Parts: sequence; structure tokens; C-alpha cells
Amino acid sequence: MLRLAPPNRCYFFAVTSFIDVNSISKRFGEFWALRDASFAIRRGEVLGLIGPNGSGKSTLFGCMAGLIPASGGSVKAEFADIPVAERKQHLYFVPDGVHPWNDQNVAWVLRFFAHLHGASPEAMRMRINELSLASLLAARLRELSKGEHRRVMLALGLLSEAPLLLLDEPFDGLDLRQTREAMSVLRQHAGAGRTLFLSIHQLNDAARVCDRLVLLNAGRIVGAGTLSELRARAGATDAGIEEVFLALTN
Amino acid sequence: MPVLKRCFLRSPTKAARFSVWRNLIGKELRELVASRSFWLLLLVVSALVGQAFITSVNLYAEASGSGGNPAALSQGLSPLEGIAVPTFGAYDLASLLLFPFVVIRLFSSEKESGALLLMLQAPVSYLVNIFAKAIALFTAWVVALLPGLTALALWKVMNGHLYTPEIVTLLLGYLLRGIITIGIGSVAAALSASASSAAIIALTFTLATWVLDYIAAARGGIIAVVANYTPWAALRVFERGELSVSVMVVLFTSSVGALLFVSQWMRVGVALASRMRIGALCVFATVIVCAAGATLSVSDDTSENRRNSFSEADEAALASIEQPLVITVYLAAEDPRLVDLDRGVLSKLRRTMKHVSIVYAAKGRTGLFEHAGDHYGEVWYALGDKRVMSRSATEEIVLESIYELAEKKPPTLAESVPYPGYPLDARPIAAPWVFFGAWPLLICSLWFVLRRHDTSRLQQGD
Repeated sequence: MLRLAPPNRCYFFAVTSFIDVNSISKRFGEFWALRDASFAIRRGEVLGLIGPNGSGKSTLFGCMAGLIPASGGSVKAEFADIPVAERKQHLYFVPDGVHPWNDQNVAWVLRFFAHLHGASPEAMRMRINELSLASLLAARLRELSKGEHRRVMLALGLLSEAPLLLLDEPFDGLDLRQTREAMSVLRQHAGAGRTLFLSIHQLNDAARVCDRLVLLNAGRIVGAGTLSELRARAGATDAGIEEVFLALTN
Repeated sequence: MPVLKRCFLRSPTKAARFSVWRNLIGKELRELVASRSFWLLLLVVSALVGQAFITSVNLYAEASGSGGNPAALSQGLSPLEGIAVPTFGAYDLASLLLFPFVVIRLFSSEKESGALLLMLQAPVSYLVNIFAKAIALFTAWVVALLPGLTALALWKVMNGHLYTPEIVTLLLGYLLRGIITIGIGSVAAALSASASSAAIIALTFTLATWVLDYIAAARGGIIAVVANYTPWAALRVFERGELSVSVMVVLFTSSVGALLFVSQWMRVGVALASRMRIGALCVFATVIVCAAGATLSVSDDTSENRRNSFSEADEAALASIEQPLVITVYLAAEDPRLVDLDRGVLSKLRRTMKHVSIVYAAKGRTGLFEHAGDHYGEVWYALGDKRVMSRSATEEIVLESIYELAEKKPPTLAESVPYPGYPLDARPIAAPWVFFGAWPLLICSLWFVLRRHDTSRLQQGD
């Protein structure tokens, strides 16, 4: 199992990282949902978080965003701790399974959210075009299919202007074409300087869209790096992501 | 540049802050309009107010001698007591059994849908979000009061008399009733995981205040003081036409304190222990401010018939008594003589005299089992080292006893115009059409139009 470097030995992370997650832990009673999760996020990258069901992916995002009280650890930007109350200035988390403002129509929700986050009408129009939401604007959120709802939630995330965006299962419910389109949109945003951290349970999707991957198993980070680096760590140089995943999470 | 300064948030200007408030209040109003509970509240309130108004107008006409029946003394016919209070009594029921659910729905739906997680990350303080909800709910309560105001307008159309200051006081009481309901409902929603649990908590709180009122009826001291500020008891003050600063301060502070508590408690990312500490601090600060507010003895009697006041001459004479007056009442809570004494004399004394304390010394609630040596039925007035006993609940006799203790000459009564009373033999012919026809139709039409409004705007390319 990968042993994590303590913060004072994270020299490589320190010079290139944008956000450092240091030893984040979360305990529910006797159960450790997360244990000493440490890794670095680099500016402008698309980082993927993969792991089996119940490995603690959503909990990690919640703790990072300050929506779940962590039992320990910190999130740092340029060596300085970001207090929980100030996390929203640095990152924005779109959780999986939330259905906000179900009685409102898509247009109003986008407008409200854009206004709340200080996004321009132009930015809102761009999100509508990028995610093909024009035909859904009059529909109430409760009337949307799972995939359509997911696209709206993706648009909300992209309307926030936080430099780091955490998206929990952004492609869940999307068909193949929509998934590819959404990936393309996310890559464009990463290219424009937005940093993305995506929790993805479809490993092939993760390999396709992410620059680097963080593997989480039973609340512990078992690997972090590019697919090649993870292959090397798993000792399987020609293996696909699924084999690497199985090897590292065994 | 320090890292914490490098945030993407802009520093808000005054215009931007206003814009944020408008955006958030607009959101909450839309959520309210989208909720069926709000429309049901409007429908039910309309029917309740209509029923209460029609009944009270008919009873008032009867007391005024309709159909050749003997009329009551005209001085006893006050539109405040005969029409306005019973009509607005419908809102007492609404604030107890309907409006809390509208409040709970607005707060709980945010938690249950996950919108809370998004709003907690918004670049505005969550406190602003909570107060935006409160403002939207207050607006909803004002809208719900419209049938009551319509009833008063109908009364005027029927040539009924209304005395503006006492009606304004009554309305203020119901506005504060709405505000405290928002506070109670929001706390219930914050403390519970679901709307149904929140409803149980809100109703439990109401029951607890009733129990407090019940206990306080037979006890003096701190319980009686606290019981003066339960939503039910506080409303009675306004219904009497009394504008009490302490009641207003306590109700308003409690509501604001409740919202502050909610804004802290809903921060789910903060550890429970921290939230409990900050929540306890909010409660403590609220209690301190309320306790300070309760000491304010400033009040105004806005009733036209001066039902909360002695004559102006008596008020001046009583206010000049510097020594503390201690009244020991040996009457049980359920004894009608105590009710008469309390309403007719003691409450006025509390308003008028600087230092007055009242001790309820009866042992039982009914007075049926008091012993001969228990002084039952006696009321002792003590000023300094002098004491005098009286069994009367009549204003004139009690005042005479107090003047005797203070060695003051009773003031000569100035010539004042007595309250004339306003008998009116009228039938509410239009009221059923208004409250059971026009209002429900208007509410249903509004609901339909507002539901369609956005869709049509979008289809027009707005």
C-alpha cells in the first residue's frame, strides 16, 4: 500500500501544487470513512478521484469543501491553511444526488445561480450552449431526466467562479454522446485555467478525461499520479486502468 | 499577495449587496409561490376570517338590538372587542396550525433537496440567506393578513366605526405573531432532519407554551413573567389595545435570536460540538436581551375606551407614589374574582406604578379546598410598613385602599367624555360572497397565472 509523504516531505507537491490536501480524516463513530488522505492538486489540471463504492469519495469532497466536518487534516493553498469558512473562496463542490429548487424552471435556476455567483449573462449563455440546455429552459427541474438534470448541475458548477471545481459523478446518467460532450466542455474549462477534481466511478471515463488520478480505497489514498505512474506503482506496465485499479485496490 | 486575499470574490458595493438581497428574497418568494402550502394557507385563512367576521357582525348586531331585541349598553359595544379581535382571531389559529408548516416547508425543503449544500458555498453569508427567507415569509404573512384587512374594510363600508390606533396595535400584534412563528418554525426545521419531525417540534413548542401559561396562571414569580411573553399571551396584550414596548422587544428579539441560531446550526460543515457552543451562545445572548427588554415598562394604551388605564388623574396620583407597593392575592387561579382583579386593576397598576409587585399566595388552583385560616379571598396591599386588606376587585375600592396607605387624597375626577360605544345593527350581506367566493377565486386564479407565468415568458424568448 502506498505510504503517503508527510507534509514536510511534499517538496514536489509544494513547488507545483495549487491546493494541498493534508491528512484529511473523517470518522463516523468507530468507522473511519477517510484516513489521512493527502494529495496535491495542480493548477489547471483535471484530477480524477476513483475508488470502489463506499471508499469515501463523496466524503472526501464534502470534507474538502467544508460541508462535512473533518475529524482531522487540512486543506492548504500555497502553504497556508484554508479555514473551513473560507473554503468557498477557493473551491466549489457540486454534490451527487442533490435536487435543488425542483419547482423552478431551468432558466430561472441558471439565472439565479449566475447572479448569486456574479457570473455574467454571457457566461450563462455560454453554459447553456456548451451543455445543450436551450431546449430545457422552460422545464421545471423536477421534470428533467437524470441526464438532463446532471447537465444542469454541471452548468451550475461551471457558473460558480471558484478556481477549483469538485464534481461528484459528473457523467452519471449521461449517455455516451452527452458524456463525450461534457468531457469536452470540462477539458475546455481546464484549458482556460479552471482546475477540476472529478469523482468518477466509470474508470474508462476517468482515464479519458483526467490528467491524473487519485485512487481511494477504504478511506485511504492508495495511489496518485498519471495512469503511467499508477501502472508502474501497480507493477503492470501494459495494463489498462481497470487492471491497475484492481491491483491497487486489492 | 497573501493567499487568503486572493479569492475570486469581489468586495461587494452597496448596490451589489442590495442586488444580492433582492436575488435571494426573490428566490424565496418564488419558492413560496411554488409551494402548495402557501396557497392552502391563503385559502383556509380566507374561509376562517370570513366565518369569524360574519359571526361577529351578527353577534354585534344582536347586541346592538337587532330585530327588536333589547340592546346592550352602548358603552359596552366596542368594535375592537366585538369585530376586529374575533375576526383576526382566525389568524391566531392560522399562526398556530397553518403558517408554521409554510415556514417549515421553506427551510426543510432546502435541507432535504440538497440546495443547502449549494447555498452554504455561495459567496454570501448564510445568515443573509436565512434573513432573506424570513423576509419572504413575513411578506407571505402580510399577504395572508389581507382577508382580515378586507373584513375591516367591509365593516367600514357597513358604516361601522374603527379607531385607527387600536386597530394598528392589533395589526402590529399579528405581524409580531407572524414573526415569532417564523422564528419557531425555522428553529424546528433546523433541528430536525425532515419536515414532519420539524412539525412535531413546532407543535410541541406550542403545547409547552400552553403548559407554561397554565402553570403561570396559579404562580407568581419568574414563571408568570416568562408566561407573559408566550406568543398566545403576548397577542392578548395587543388585542386589549395595549402597545407594550417590552412585549414588542421580547418577541422581536426572540425571533431574530432564533434566526441567528438557525444560521449557525445549519452550517453542516462545522462540527456538532462547535455548533452547539455557538448555538448556546445565541440562545444566551437572546435571553439576556429579552430579559433586559422585559424590564422596559413603557407602554401605551391605544384603546379608544381606555380599557387598560385608570383615569388620567388617578394615573398621575399613582405615579407619584415612590414606595414599592406589594400586593398579596389570596385568590386561586380559577377564581373569577382573580380574573376580574387582574384585568380590571392589577394590570393597570403594573402599567401605572413604578414599583409594584404582586404575589399570588393561594395554594390550590380552584380555591375549593382552602382552609379558614388561609386568608382565602383576601387581597393585602402593603406600602412600606403599612398594610391594608380588601376583598374587593373593584377599581374604585382598590384605589381608595392604596391612597389610604400612601396617605394621599384621592384625586377629584375631572370631567371627561365617557366612551360612547358604537352599536351597529347591520348584516354582512356581501361578506359570504367576498370570503367564500371572490377571495378563493382570486387565490386560485393567481396560483394558476403565476404557475404559467415563467413558462410563457420563456416561450416569448424573454
